[in-house]
Amino acid sequence: MTSSNVSRRGLLRTAALGAGTLALGGGLSACGSGSPSSAADALTYWDWYVTQAPWVDKEIELFEKGHSGVSVKKTTQQNAKYPDLVALANRSGNPPDVFMIPQVPSVAEQVAKGWLHPLDEWATPAWQSRFPEGTFLEGANVFDGKVYSAPLKGSGPQLQLYIHHGVFKSAGLTNPDGSVKIPRTWDEVTSAAQTITKKSGGKSYGFGFGNADGIGVLAWWLDLFVRGAGAPGGAPTVPGTGMDYRVGKWTFGTDRAYADFLELFVEWKKRGFFHPNSVSLSDEAARAFFERGKFGMTVGGVWNQPEWTQHKFTDYSLVTLPSPTATPKGFYYADPVGNGTFAAVSAKSKKAHEGFQWLDALTSPAAGRRWVEDLNGVSAHPTDNDPDGIDSKPFAAFIGMTEQVLRGPVPLVRNPELAGVAPGVPKPDIGDVVTGVYTGQIKDVQGALSSLADKKFQLLSDAVAAVAKQGKKVSTSDYVFADWDPTKPYTTKKKA
Amino acid sequence: MSLLDTRERKRASPTPPPAAAHPGLGRRIRAAKWSYLYLAPMAVLLLAFVVYPIFASFGYTFYRWNGIGAPGNYVGLANFRQILGDSIFWGAVEHTFVYAFVLVPVQLLLALALALVLNNPKLKFALFFRTVYFIPVVTSAAVVGVVIQLMLANFGDSAGSLLAKTGMTNGHIDWLGDPHTALAVIIAIGIWHTLGYNLVYFLAGLQTIPAELYEAAKLDGCGPVQSFFRITIPMLRQVGVVIVVLAFIGSFQVFDLVQVLTGGGPYFATEVVNTYIYHLAFGGSAGAAAQPDIGLASAASFLYGLLLIVFSALQVLALRGISRRRAAADR
Repeated sequence: MTSSNVSRRGLLRTAALGAGTLALGGGLSACGSGSPSSAADALTYWDWYVTQAPWVDKEIELFEKGHSGVSVKKTTQQNAKYPDLVALANRSGNPPDVFMIPQVPSVAEQVAKGWLHPLDEWATPAWQSRFPEGTFLEGANVFDGKVYSAPLKGSGPQLQLYIHHGVFKSAGLTNPDGSVKIPRTWDEVTSAAQTITKKSGGKSYGFGFGNADGIGVLAWWLDLFVRGAGAPGGAPTVPGTGMDYRVGKWTFGTDRAYADFLELFVEWKKRGFFHPNSVSLSDEAARAFFERGKFGMTVGGVWNQPEWTQHKFTDYSLVTLPSPTATPKGFYYADPVGNGTFAAVSAKSKKAHEGFQWLDALTSPAAGRRWVEDLNGVSAHPTDNDPDGIDSKPFAAFIGMTEQVLRGPVPLVRNPELAGVAPGVPKPDIGDVVTGVYTGQIKDVQGALSSLADKKFQLLSDAVAAVAKQGKKVSTSDYVFADWDPTKPYTTKKKA
Repeated sequence: MSLLDTRERKRASPTPPPAAAHPGLGRRIRAAKWSYLYLAPMAVLLLAFVVYPIFASFGYTFYRWNGIGAPGNYVGLANFRQILGDSIFWGAVEHTFVYAFVLVPVQLLLALALALVLNNPKLKFALFFRTVYFIPVVTSAAVVGVVIQLMLANFGDSAGSLLAKTGMTNGHIDWLGDPHTALAVIIAIGIWHTLGYNLVYFLAGLQTIPAELYEAAKLDGCGPVQSFFRITIPMLRQVGVVIVVLAFIGSFQVFDLVQVLTGGGPYFATEVVNTYIYHLAFGGSAGAAAQPDIGLASAASFLYGLLLIVFSALQVLALRGISRRRAAADR
């Protein structure tokens, strides 16, 4: 070890202590629960939930009532810096007792680094049985047979096409009974956008989005429209996902749905259907513009709804998977891997038992129901996901869509050794490519899509090879499920 | 004083020993100990936060590393190869040079013109105007970026739609979202934002020119244009060189305006080297861009550093060449 290493480590430790002190300070000032005198004994909890904070605070209050003597000190960290803060806290030996699991490094790496406490002494088979079958998955939230986390969220359709009733009605897009004519196919969407743009006289546009934040908003459009056209991988930007499991590859270049939609997308732009500032608008501003009727349709997730509800704007509908034909040829598929890793108890915690109690409370069916009622999303417990009793009509519609999310292939079930495979991300990725096509910077659309698909597969192959080098039995063929029909639920069989 | 006096004096005072003529390092340090003491805090901070990170980060260029834990995935020179083969990097270099080579000349000409106007003693409210032009400089680039972004895109009736309504543009232009206009808009904002600096430098330079020179020139029948080219420009040469060097240094470091206004987009149309390095090192806010790679970012910054060294060397050679030619012409 060189002296420079020592000094670097020292610097990092000091920085971590500083961050920890600040975080604790922030927690003390920000947290609404527990009295100052009990702060030192409180169970520390970190998350990055901002819009969901009211739900967390309510859960803390209920937990403290039910567990006398245990208080929870919540610190909501900045989302973008969360992985760094958790890493620094662990390196300084002062992590929170319970924390939401950061996305970087992978859960497998976090377990290998000894950050997470195995829950086996409490997570008995009886406890596990309260979750749906397939929740606890080796390589996702179970490692070497030990359970490390449990899900809070269930799977809903990631994206929807939002329809502004006021704009549609102004453009005369109504049924004979006066209700809004909801477009469900690509042609109907095109026709609605054309009517809005034409009839509004420049006041409204057919579509709008906010692409300025660099979060790959345009990939959402591609994802929503091509799935129903029979490209079940869609266009997600999360590493290692989005492949068509029938062939175990990204099919941007070979499945014509991608190029077909992009051609239509550019056509929409040429015909002036999009709000002209869309590329430089922020996602936040685009949400406000939609609310004010500056455009009639936009693509987004359920996360749009809390803000609109706060502003008392609920006069909209949502549809998912608009397809070229009336019947979608592909769907959204449940994510047992991502959903299963919500929060964990720290391996360094001196209050691991209380930590598990808090995790237990957060992932309970009762908390899940409140999660749904507070319009945060879908619960991991199917019984919670009942649209009845939800005041917000659009949110109830979203909850009603969970039935359109099918069970799909899960490579980790077939081969848990894939847990260590962490492919890199090409630059430009799919969101960039769609932006380039939209702005006219990419002329050879088919070439760009094919090149991207090849790059993604190469990165996966490299990552698989790296894991195979460590003696694991992994192969790119582990991602191929030739017998999968994307229109039907699929049960992945374990490797013999 | 006569020649004899000088000779006698030389004879009277013995030749000083070489040590006294060129005192040793220790003696020189002791003599200027207070100066060194005053410099010490800055030197320590510079070593800790500038020099050390430069050398420390060089080691990272040989690793694929997301910044968490110790770097372990040794890849040799692969990061350098990847950066050199990345068209986005070269695009970012091109945008940075375009930014610098458009901004600096335009800004300097504007700053000089304004300085000449504001240096006129007959101008009323000169102090007020100087303040007005300097206000953008003291405003954070991030704040400037956010406000201008709001004006150009996020307001209900943005600048784009207002210009279209008045017929000044042929239809609505998405100034920051159109790859043909985005970089030009950023350069224009950059010119406006830092104009005040150069204005102040030029004003300071103008105020060092003795008024007698202009009076003499006037008596000799020189008009204002001749005075400008024969007196003002030559007298500003020294300060001008400093201003040009500082303006280029500042322009090559452009980051905050681009990051806030466009984040390097659309589709890398405004990506400059510093935003490119930043995106590699820290990732974006979500999705694919959220995967940081400190190794690649370090390699990119080293390559950019080398490019700037080459550019600086060429700049020095060019300035020396100009000086030599001028000296020869003066002879």
